[in-house]
Order: sequence, then C-alpha cells, then structure tokens
Amino acid sequence: MAALRSRKVVELFYDVISPYSWVAFEVLCRYQTRWNIDLQLRPFFIGGVFKETGNKPPALLAAKYTYAQHDLRRLADFYKIPVKMPPMERLMRRENVNSNRLLTAVTLDCPEHLENLSRELWMRVMARDQDITEPASLETAATAAGIPSDTTPQLLSRIRDDDVKAALKDTTNQALAYGAFGAPTIVAHIEGTPVMIWGSDRFPLLAHLLGERWEGPLREMAKY
Amino acid sequence: MATPIRKSVELFYDVVSPYSWLAFEVMCRYQQKWNIDLKLRPFFLSGIMQGAGFHQPGPSKASYMGKDLKRQTDMYKVPFKMPRNPAEVILIKGSLNAGRFLTAVDMNCDQYLEELTRQLFLRVYYRDEDITEPASLMSAAAKAGIPEDLAKQLLSTIKDQAVKDRLRETTQAALDHGAFGSPTIVAHVDGKPQMFFGSDRMELMAHMLGEKWYGPLPELAKAKM
Repeated sequence: MAALRSRKVVELFYDVISPYSWVAFEVLCRYQTRWNIDLQLRPFFIGGVFKETGNKPPALLAAKYTYAQHDLRRLADFYKIPVKMPPMERLMRRENVNSNRLLTAVTLDCPEHLENLSRELWMRVMARDQDITEPASLETAATAAGIPSDTTPQLLSRIRDDDVKAALKDTTNQALAYGAFGAPTIVAHIEGTPVMIWGSDRFPLLAHLLGERWEGPLREMAKY
Repeated sequence: MATPIRKSVELFYDVVSPYSWLAFEVMCRYQQKWNIDLKLRPFFLSGIMQGAGFHQPGPSKASYMGKDLKRQTDMYKVPFKMPRNPAEVILIKGSLNAGRFLTAVDMNCDQYLEELTRQLFLRVYYRDEDITEPASLMSAAAKAGIPEDLAKQLLSTIKDQAVKDRLRETTQAALDHGAFGSPTIVAHVDGKPQMFFGSDRMELMAHMLGEKWYGPLPELAKAKM
C-alpha cells in the first residue's frame, strides 16, 4: 500500500485591512481543496510589522495608492473577489487593530469560525466600505459570519483581554521571525524548511515549490 | 480575410532594475506567441523615483528581494546573479549613460535595441560588470552585433540634447501613465492604456489581452551565459 503523502503546512499571515491579503486568502481557500496542503490561517497585525521593520505602508506613496486602486479592480475581476482599495481614512485608522484582536480571540476560542469571520470583515471593509473598528460593527460581522449571537458579547469583550493582545503580538512576531515585512506573508513548509513568500502574486512559484500545479484563478470556486 | 490588428504593449525599463530583466525576457518570449507589437521603451529609473517618490526597502525587504529574484529567475531560466554591491550598482553608479546609449540606438537603429538591452542586463546582472564607462557600452554593443563604427558614432551622441530629451520624454511618458518604478508595462486594450507594474502581472495581462498564458516558456529563452 502506498504511503500517504503528508500534507504540507502553508501558513497565511494576514491582516483584514490589507486588500492583497484578501486575494491571497481566497486563492489559498480555493486551492486547499486542490493541493495537498494544510492551510493555517494566522491573523496578524500589519501595523506591528511596519513598526518593527521600518518598512513604509505602500499606500503612503500617492502613485502606489492610485496604482493599487486600478490593480485591485482588475484583480477583482480576474479572481472574482469583490475587493476594492479602501479610502485612506479607513486604511490608516489605529482602531483597525480591534478587528485583528477579534480574529485572534476567535483563533483561541472558536477557530471553526475564523475563515467565515475573516471573509465577512473583508466584505465589510473592502466590498461595502463599512466600518470594522466599532463594537457594533464587529458584532454585526460576527453574527453574519455565523457565530451564535448569544456568544458574541463575550467574544467581543475578549478584544481587551491580555491573553488575546499577547497572542496577536506573538503571531506578528512569528511572522517577523520568518522575515515578514508586509502583508500577506505566506510561509510554506517544504521538507522541514520554511519558505517565506510575500504578496498575492507568487502562486505559480508556490505551486512549483509544493510540487503542485497552478491552475489559475479558479473563478468557478468563487464564493461571490 | 482580415488579420487582427496587433495590440501595442510598451515595456518601460531600466537595465539597472533586476525585475525589469525578468519582464524583458518574458515579453520577448511572448511577442512570438501573442498577437502583440512589443515596443521597448528604455527609460531612467532615477527620474521615475524623483517624479513619483521612493520608499527605500528596509533590510528584511531587501533580503527577501534577493531570494525572490533567485527563485523567480530560476523558474524563468534567466541567468541572474546578484552583484556583490547592488546598492552601489543601482543607487550610486546608476544607469544614465546606459539609458542614453539605449536611447541613441532606439532613435537610430532600433533593430539592435533588444539585443543591446540583453547584453547590458547580462553585464550588470550576470557578470557583475560595469555599465557606466564608454568601454563597457562598446563591449555590450559589440556583443549585440552593432558594427564598431556605428557603435562609436552612437556613443558620441549620448550627451546630445536630442538624446537627453528623448530619454527624459520616455521617462515622463511612463510617469504620465502613473509609473513609480521599473518595469512598467503599458498594454493598450480596447483603446485604453492599462499600466502594470512589475514582472508578475503577466497572467492578468494575458487575460485582458484575450491571450493565453503559458507560464515561463523556458524553451524560448534567449539570454545565454
């Protein structure tokens, strides 16, 4: 009997305020059914990465921000993901960390909801230009993601807990230890060696490293 | 029977930019596969950085780019080797003379532009050789098949106003398309210019041009060591 090929771990470090992280997230969610991978979602805090590395948010360069608006419009069509570059005011809000902390709380307490809640937060901030910082916004998102409404108040209160803040910091530090300087950061574990890839435009390379095949955007698998 | 009109694709590039080499080789392969008219537009990256602003990559990003370039160029079979001092190559020595020489060739005998471009990339990003001195440019020209007399004559024009102006105009044209780096590709789709930054939007560009993406096509590689 042939030995079972063990699945290769692929970690996705992402922040829901990062539009390109949404592209990477959806592509990897589609490909986890095609490739022999174990996709691990690792919500982190891009603000912490910028602070530690001194790397500047691309949006601060006007020409890059303008370009990203066009680029995302085209990628939205190509991948069938309703992603739009948010207005600068939303991108730069310090309170965005609340959504990172909520996702961290979900990772700790009810990880079965992590994928759906991540997607719902992106839908709010990227597709519908809605807030993701206020408690009421986060409660709406949690309910829309299928988290039972009797558990959401307790989950929301976890945003202020020390263990949640520490876990978010820890995940961010793990990404930094892999050499991260931006979002998304993908870490593929190839024969015991972690290979860090930045961005949502290295999927053919990732396929090559995993010994898999890149089959394009797989629009037919879009959840939209 | 009407032949479909070739779609114009402009590649704005500077030979001091490693990702531009990748984009250049891929586009040279695909001009054989796609119904496109590839226009090589040598520009001046320093001018782009001045025009659009620039964030210098920090150490972790710079380190990543080195690894990324090795993996991407391996996959695409481009014989890339990082020079010992890339910061010196890009930021200090620069590409002004090389850009003007490419411009002079583009203005006078553009049939040599592709191969001269390739030879300059091989100098800086395969053999870690100079591209600023006249002797360096003459050597690249010889390898590109430009007759010596013609190369000498073109080299003598690189400080002429017409050549300086042309390089400046090409750089400005890229800035007008929203460029902030190199490579910058402008594909003309249904009469509208679509600007793509970098060497990693090829599959998307194929989709917009109504063409098929075949991946790296290493069998069509032209850059020989």
